[in-house]
Amino acid sequence: MTTVHQNALVADYLRRLERAAASLTRQRRAELVAEIQEHIDDALLEAGAADEVAVRNVLERLGAPEEIAAAAGPPTASPAGRAGRLEIAALVALAVPFVGWLVGIPLVLLSQAWKGRDKAIGVLLGLSPVFLGALVMTAGEGHSGPVGAPTDTPGSGVGPFEVSVLGLVILGGLVGAIFLAVRLRRDAEPRALEA
Amino acid sequence: MHCMEPGGTRNSLSQLRRGAVEYCVLALLREGERYGFELVRKLSEVDGLVTSEGTIYPLLTRLRRDKLVTTFWRESEAGPPRRYYELTEEGREALAGFTQEWARFRDGVDGLLEQEGSR
Repeated sequence: MTTVHQNALVADYLRRLERAAASLTRQRRAELVAEIQEHIDDALLEAGAADEVAVRNVLERLGAPEEIAAAAGPPTASPAGRAGRLEIAALVALAVPFVGWLVGIPLVLLSQAWKGRDKAIGVLLGLSPVFLGALVMTAGEGHSGPVGAPTDTPGSGVGPFEVSVLGLVILGGLVGAIFLAVRLRRDAEPRALEA
Repeated sequence: MHCMEPGGTRNSLSQLRRGAVEYCVLALLREGERYGFELVRKLSEVDGLVTSEGTIYPLLTRLRRDKLVTTFWRESEAGPPRRYYELTEEGREALAGFTQEWARFRDGVDGLLEQEGSR
């Protein structure tokens, strides 16, 4: 009967809202869509009808999804969920081992575009080979000298082992940067397909 | 960037409306907590105040973020729990400040508009 039609109208409206609110963080967007959905339910309950006319009237009064998204837009969208210069600088810096990290990690921590959990994963992922490397090195050098001895200490020349550790360290930074870049893009993309 | 357009008047009116609606929400909460749909309905009853009901929800989020209101969930008699909005002390102060300013602003603008209109 009319229910199919009604659901299609509402579903289409909510999809448009999701798309229009693409610039919001995922959490904010989900909340907004849930609130509007609740409003539609309440309004239909109040109207005492759920036929096509009732649904169209409720949606009409709500206004265009694009307008609602725009009202939610500027103040919330700019600080969170969007890649700005800060985020791009952070990612580029993270890809440069050691020196870059000194700049990149504080920038990542400063940014509001990533959630706390993503920041932690990204930074730990980037640094994980360093921790691992340090662990292996100390274990390996335990008998030959103090921890953190310079590389020109006799007996610890640059061999294939050191090269591969260095490679891993560089790779780690890249993986961390790529992870953060992916998280940034995931948040910026419309999520209409999940509806 | 944007120059004055034919739609400029409409635009500034809608900005004025948006600014005022915020405080109307706070005023509606003065006597006690209300849930989102209830607030939207009350606001829509005022002629010319709200053009798109849906835009109230982002506004409520902003008020919460600015700590002018707090929210909590409460079971409803029918259907899922509802999110209720409640005025904070900060919100109460903001409302009091606006109420004073608004009276001055309204009287001033009215005075000018009437004066200009009768010339």
